[in-house]
Amino acid sequence: MIGTKSRDTLAESITDAHALAPASARPGVFRALLAHRTGVAGLVIVAGVALIAIAAPLIAPDDPTRVDALRRLAPPSAETLLGTDNLGRDILSRLIWGARLSLGTAGLAAVLILTIGVGLGMVAGFYGGLLDDLLMRIVDVLLAFPALILALAIAGVLGPSITSVMIGIVAVAWADYARVMRGQVLSARERQYVEAARAIGAGNTRILARHLLPNVLPPILVLASLEMGGLILAISGLSFLGLGAQPPTPEWGAMLNDGRAFIAAAPQLMIYPGLSISIVVVGFNLLGDGLRDAFDPHLRI
Amino acid sequence: MALQPVIRRSAAVLAGVLVAAACGAQPPSGPAASPAGTAAGTAKVELATTQELMVATAADGYRNDATRTNIGMYPLNANIFDTLVTLSPDYQVMPGLATQWEFRAPNTYRFTLRPGVKFHDGTAFTAKDVVWSIQRIAKQGGGTIGVSDTSAVAVGDLMVDITPKAPNLRALQQLVHPSWSIAKAESDTTKAMGTGPFKLTEYVKAERIVVAANDDYWAGKPTLRKITFRFLPDANTRVLALQAGEVQISDIPKESAKTLTGDFSVSRSKVGAYEAMYINIHGKQGYDLGKDPAIRQAIAYAIDKKVVVESVWQGNAEISQTMIPAGILGPEASRISGTNRDVAKAKKLLDDAGWRAGADGIREKAGRKLSLTMVVGFPNADVHKPMPEFAQAQFKEIGIDVKIVITPDTATYEKRLASGEGDIWVEAGSQNDANPCFLPDLLFASPRPGGDEEANMYGNSFAPGATFDAAIKRCRESTSTADVQKAATDAMKLLVDEQFIVVPLAGTYRINGISKKVLDFVVHQAGVHQRWETVKLSK
Amino acid sequence: MLRYIARRLAYLIPVWLGISILAFALALLAPGDPVRQILQAGGIDAPSAEQVIALRRELGLDQPGPVRFAIWLGNAVRGDLGRSYSTGEPVLQSLIDRFPRTAVLALLAVSLGLVIAVPLGIVSALFRDSVVDQIARLGALVGASIPSFWLAYLLILFFAVQLRILPVAGASEPRHIVLPALTLAIGAAASLTRLTRSAMLEELFQDYVRTARSKGLRERAVVVTHALRNALIAIVTITGIRLAALLGGAVIVETIFAWPGIGKYVVDSIFSRDYPTIQGFVLFTGTVVLLVNLAVDVSYVWLDPRVRLGEKSR
Repeated sequence: MIGTKSRDTLAESITDAHALAPASARPGVFRALLAHRTGVAGLVIVAGVALIAIAAPLIAPDDPTRVDALRRLAPPSAETLLGTDNLGRDILSRLIWGARLSLGTAGLAAVLILTIGVGLGMVAGFYGGLLDDLLMRIVDVLLAFPALILALAIAGVLGPSITSVMIGIVAVAWADYARVMRGQVLSARERQYVEAARAIGAGNTRILARHLLPNVLPPILVLASLEMGGLILAISGLSFLGLGAQPPTPEWGAMLNDGRAFIAAAPQLMIYPGLSISIVVVGFNLLGDGLRDAFDPHLRI
Repeated sequence: MALQPVIRRSAAVLAGVLVAAACGAQPPSGPAASPAGTAAGTAKVELATTQELMVATAADGYRNDATRTNIGMYPLNANIFDTLVTLSPDYQVMPGLATQWEFRAPNTYRFTLRPGVKFHDGTAFTAKDVVWSIQRIAKQGGGTIGVSDTSAVAVGDLMVDITPKAPNLRALQQLVHPSWSIAKAESDTTKAMGTGPFKLTEYVKAERIVVAANDDYWAGKPTLRKITFRFLPDANTRVLALQAGEVQISDIPKESAKTLTGDFSVSRSKVGAYEAMYINIHGKQGYDLGKDPAIRQAIAYAIDKKVVVESVWQGNAEISQTMIPAGILGPEASRISGTNRDVAKAKKLLDDAGWRAGADGIREKAGRKLSLTMVVGFPNADVHKPMPEFAQAQFKEIGIDVKIVITPDTATYEKRLASGEGDIWVEAGSQNDANPCFLPDLLFASPRPGGDEEANMYGNSFAPGATFDAAIKRCRESTSTADVQKAATDAMKLLVDEQFIVVPLAGTYRINGISKKVLDFVVHQAGVHQRWETVKLSK
Repeated sequence: MLRYIARRLAYLIPVWLGISILAFALALLAPGDPVRQILQAGGIDAPSAEQVIALRRELGLDQPGPVRFAIWLGNAVRGDLGRSYSTGEPVLQSLIDRFPRTAVLALLAVSLGLVIAVPLGIVSALFRDSVVDQIARLGALVGASIPSFWLAYLLILFFAVQLRILPVAGASEPRHIVLPALTLAIGAAASLTRLTRSAMLEELFQDYVRTARSKGLRERAVVVTHALRNALIAIVTITGIRLAALLGGAVIVETIFAWPGIGKYVVDSIFSRDYPTIQGFVLFTGTVVLLVNLAVDVSYVWLDPRVRLGEKSR
């Protein structure tokens, strides 16, 4: 269910994608976002967590993998603000480093998905022909699967690790972007600025990079921000199953899994990682909505 | 090691000489009478009108193919079948379907069978059922005893001779294991036709096995009318089911036993189970670092057993240096000194062997990182938690990087072991019989051509070789208890103190959460011998 | 209509072929020698070189890739997806045995999600910015952001351990389906509420609704008859995607609740490195999803609002 989230959000967005095309709204986007109450809330949450993730080595009070069996399941104290887990590791430190891991892996996955999806989508849309046909057939096949299912199978065959999970997710998720991007390029190709560029003798690469990309990329970036929440859920979900981050890596989904045995006796082991995931995903969902509305005031209804 | 087990006690000696340390002797026959571990004592209590018990058990481990099926037998013993002889909770060989037995040199046991026993379909139990059941195991490779098609011979309607292929005086003790259950001759074994106190009513793979009382049971009618064993592979789910009152009995992970509260009591068995690490000394392609004795020895000195026992497992274990419960080894046990945490020594061993710390603190030698794979999953990963991660941290301290691989069930673990993909193997098991050589023989003897599949799988990775095998041979052929104990101790000393192939960690307690309504449930130290016919439910 | 379905089917065939190539290729990623694994699954620990070569030839694994694919696909079309490395059972049969469990759970979860989401989304759109709308939007946001594996445990703690009115896990009685279905339904309801709301809002502003309204129909009729019907296209699309995803196995929820569907089955297979099962699962799921997509496509024909409205106004 988790990973399907990403595809859902995307599919919902794609139904609106036709409306995202006009880039004319761009100059006011940031201002529009700042005027969007929940969008700002999302921005604040995401920026806050990103800051924590970046500063993890500086602000984490302890080594997140330092085991100290003698202070096992310690309640919150001045030394360990959120208590310790079943191996005496500092929960707060693990959460902080977990933010770095979750944002880092989801962010890297998003970059890879965008790069591959946008790149192939542009190539397919711009050049057309056999290459386009081939790529779109591959896209059709990938889109025939619920995202998590195929990612799970790929990660499973590669063996449990956070890298496998990322490969699995990226290998599937780029297809959505390639399809949307191709559509964007197809419609943009006929526009005046492209024809003008062609008229003055610009080469294909130059047209793609200098003229098409800047015009079609922004709506795609909005889609990507909507996707981040889904990616974080997918990665933590697979880690919860044991397919992703391996011990002793502090990963929220894996921490939640470890904490299950103490759901009654030491609920902090399950509550904090669950809250962390939920808050970050709420942040990205709010930010994504805000960005979408800011991009296209028409949709803000 | 709850593998195919086998019980053996000292050869022809029938009286219980080898008794697990912490247990008192039991009366020589009949179901155990003491209600150890249950809420009610001997006082009269009113029994519930509905005698239906729900038990949460781990993943379904039954094999369901027609030839090798063991439904209801092993690893979950639903008491559908009886064995010729049984193992009491204090490791005595007791009469079962056989009332008497006698050793006949050079290599035969003669069993006198219990008269008047009926299978669940009403047919009478005779020697031909024993012969057929033994032949069935012979067709699968001969099992741990090493039987052939001609090993079992009916001497009369109620008398059988069993002669293993090779000299094996431990056969009597091996026969207690539920793998040697007696099924009806020529029966469809997937239908589980036995003589036990319960008969199979329903088996739904990976969901549940349901048994109903056999009112014609030879030892008396069970009080319970029905037992439903639910397969819940996740330990936490089992505990939640217990807390929610859906099941009346469930095992409880060591690390959380003290934190749980609810309408149940927690009962702990005495030490019969153990936890140990085995190090692969025959590994190939990337799993061969265990060949270096310095690495094995450093591993043994890296772990703080005291902290594992007291903190990580919350006192639900005792430090063990012998793996085999010391009581089984008798006075010989003290000859095994074992290892305790000594970080300086462990580091020096690695330094001297040329393993030098790299930039990340992990040691290297000739361009190869000291990176080991630790496989956790026998009998399932939950029972070890969180020891592997604790050990991982302790190994890191001496510069060994350990990757933990968790297998979801026994079958996957064994498949991985068969292919040898791992350096350190973490296992929790139990002494499934009173034969001191049960574990060393089963796990570490050199692989025998055509021998038992599971034994060979272990032998391929861990067998230390000829000296060890000689001790095992002495074990099989000794006639006195003291000789068997001595041979077993020699074997374990080689594994633990000289070769560092086995790092015993602890003798662990079997912990069950038992609803306060359950009476007379006696936790067996070896789970595969658990009996249910004594259990009752109070109002 | 039949021609439309035939056209969709014709389009699906190359996609299905693509799915089968993908399923086949997955095994190429897998480490280890499949022949050895099959022999080991059959109880031979250390297969001899002769045994390996013989079985390799027998299975056609000594052939070049495309030929092997053709053999594999030929078998798959005839219903033979090979045997599990761990249990030795035929993969297709195991999937078919477990699929009804997954299907029941998926259908119940999605129906429950729809029952919650559609009325909530409509009310939320009709009374935009009201308290109800605010609550619905907050609920949808939280529902879409909370990890299912966390939600599952919160529900277990509350309903099974505290109140003791529902079982923790298992699948032996009808009651067992409630908590897993609820867990999944909350996630589905969250996205469907959002979608219903925005689709309704969009439709309420469409020209033809204004037209219909100007013709004097009562507002409620306008909403229900026209706007909802149009919004249904979007709702059906997302419901189809949700359903397809769950039919592929709600892996995490099935695992937590020990629900013996294909999702739990594949997770187990992944850990036991049972590649034929993973392969078979991918092909099976891909096929199921294609069929769901086909059903969604067909439903569009019935639901196309402009066609219906046109017919009525005539």
